[in-house]
Amino acid sequence: MDQLAVVLISGISSGAVYGLIGLSMVIIYRATDVFNFATAAFGIFAVYIAIAFMGLGVGLMMAAALGAAIVALGGVAVHATIIRPLGSGQMFGALVVTMGLSLVLESIAGDVWGQQPKSFPPLIEGNFRIGDAGLANQQLLNIAIAGVAMVLVSLLFTRTHIGTAMRATAESAVAAKVIGINSGRVARIAWALGCLLAGVAAVLYSSRAGVTPTVLTAALFRAMAGIFLGGLTSMSGAVLGGLAIGVLDNVAASYVSASFRDTFVFGVVIVMLLVRPQGLFGQRSFQRV
Amino acid sequence: MRKSVLPALTATALFALAGCAISPASGSGSSDAAIKIGAWVTTSGPVAVSGVPQSAATAAYFKMVNANGGCNGHQIDWITKDNAYDPQQTLQVARSLVQQEGVVAIVGAYGTATSEAAFSYVLDQSKVPVINTAGGASSWYTPPRKNLFGVETLYEDQGAALGAWAAEEGAKKILVVHSDPDAFVNVAKNVEPSAVTVNPGVSVETLPVKYHSTDYSPVVQQVKQKAPDAVVLILSPEEAAAYLKEAKLQGIAPNAYGYAPEASTATLTLAGDAAEGFHTLSLVKAPNGSAPELVEYRDAMAKYAPEQPIDFVTATGFARAKAFCEVVKTIEGDVTSESISKAFETAAAVKTGMLPELAFSSDTHIGTRQVQKLVVKGGSFTEVGDFYTPPARKQ
Repeated sequence: MDQLAVVLISGISSGAVYGLIGLSMVIIYRATDVFNFATAAFGIFAVYIAIAFMGLGVGLMMAAALGAAIVALGGVAVHATIIRPLGSGQMFGALVVTMGLSLVLESIAGDVWGQQPKSFPPLIEGNFRIGDAGLANQQLLNIAIAGVAMVLVSLLFTRTHIGTAMRATAESAVAAKVIGINSGRVARIAWALGCLLAGVAAVLYSSRAGVTPTVLTAALFRAMAGIFLGGLTSMSGAVLGGLAIGVLDNVAASYVSASFRDTFVFGVVIVMLLVRPQGLFGQRSFQRV
Repeated sequence: MRKSVLPALTATALFALAGCAISPASGSGSSDAAIKIGAWVTTSGPVAVSGVPQSAATAAYFKMVNANGGCNGHQIDWITKDNAYDPQQTLQVARSLVQQEGVVAIVGAYGTATSEAAFSYVLDQSKVPVINTAGGASSWYTPPRKNLFGVETLYEDQGAALGAWAAEEGAKKILVVHSDPDAFVNVAKNVEPSAVTVNPGVSVETLPVKYHSTDYSPVVQQVKQKAPDAVVLILSPEEAAAYLKEAKLQGIAPNAYGYAPEASTATLTLAGDAAEGFHTLSLVKAPNGSAPELVEYRDAMAKYAPEQPIDFVTATGFARAKAFCEVVKTIEGDVTSESISKAFETAAAVKTGMLPELAFSSDTHIGTRQVQKLVVKGGSFTEVGDFYTPPARKQ
């Protein structure tokens, strides 16, 4: 029983990080129609920047916050200089651009901070025990942060003017413009928010796995699986999908095979998409042919 | 217009074909002034974590030698190209090094699977030797392959060494936790036979894990259930660190043993105090030792690759280059692809002061089977005895 509890909580904790990465991608996708493949690379920059601030004597929490904030500004800059000039309706073009951007950012990170792994301390120290098994307090913090982020983003999108504007832009950028919504401002906010969340996710992930320029790649793919499981258009779906992936991954590793954990997880996602192509919480879209 | 273009195109095509027909090895004579050698290295992508320091250390050795008058009077021109740890790119790099650069040997290249992709072209077609690659497999040297020589104790022998070491320390129930690609499975397979050689009563079980797993809690829970006396880790340094941290969190007591790739700064950095007591192997002496050769290595790294760590990864890269130079010193006359291969086939008692003493022959193209045992004490790897020869492998 202790083992099951540890496996589940640890899976939810990993899934919380996948969920935050997924949330980052869905926010940008919904507001700007861009599937940001460079999410992981943005996040890693936040961690490296945080480490640099810590080297200057800045405290851990402040350094992490500064790292995430600077990456948020970086996201705005990238949108303005690289994504926006592509024009609207260039979803595949933008996808390729963000793929390239991801490689460039990873390469820059490697050149600036080196390829050697660096450790990153947990935001909160200490462990707690469930019977004979141990869990790190940081794992609970991951879950809490993902939950808070999901609630705040949901509130932003449903209870605020800017959220309404973002949803309207996602439905139809042209119609939104007609009713006076500044789509450029919406896109900037979406990129800033998305990259901020990517930074937060990377900080949480790195406290367990350390940081290298490509350390978040595996998490990115799991986050994408979570997005499609939860529904590409759903904020809560992205987080819940990520959580489900984390739990499935750990349950498969414990009770099926540690070697086939990915096979199991992605097998479930494929079956899910066959049964419900729009994901668990996504909305089905129809297009005229 | 058409008539004037066609002869030119035909001439160009014939010229190109003629160029392709020239065997690179036939033109491999190296001048007295410089020996032009090359390598495919991995300086981008996820594997650059170990690829960059290894190649930086090899480069540091050649820079040091060149600054001191060269290797037996020859300057070394070591040309490297990134293969991004991709076999297809490795083959392109190999063609470029052999055909365009005209290297006489590939020295200190990186990667097992990537290097294998280029063997047919480099070794068989071009007759250019491949020397002291970072990586390797028993199939490379059994039977010995013409022009292919190595100085790193094979991973399979490392598996045998770990099995014997755990059994010698009294383990009766050994669990081998290994990543699932073949390169790791082949190492894991060699734990049991050598453990049984030491103590026939030992039982060995394996637990394969998905490569690049970061959440080790399910794995450690399984280890806990199986209650082994010793756990052998055949994982990447990052995975080994993840295991060690989780094992500490779960209060798992048994000794953990790791193979040479895990004797890296990355393991200590990421695992922190969870690495304390971790048993590992190394291909070289502990790089913080006081032997003159180790002092020379540290000085060269400080001068030519100051951004890289002093650790087993860079020490091995440095020693690989040094072993090449020590053998080249025995060549009288021109240094060519042929003379390099011949020198390696007859090289005996090659001393680097870092690697075990190396010996080659026409039947033995791998210079050593020995490893150095290490234990993490006080946050650093400390040597346990001298170089150790594992029991002979049965497979």
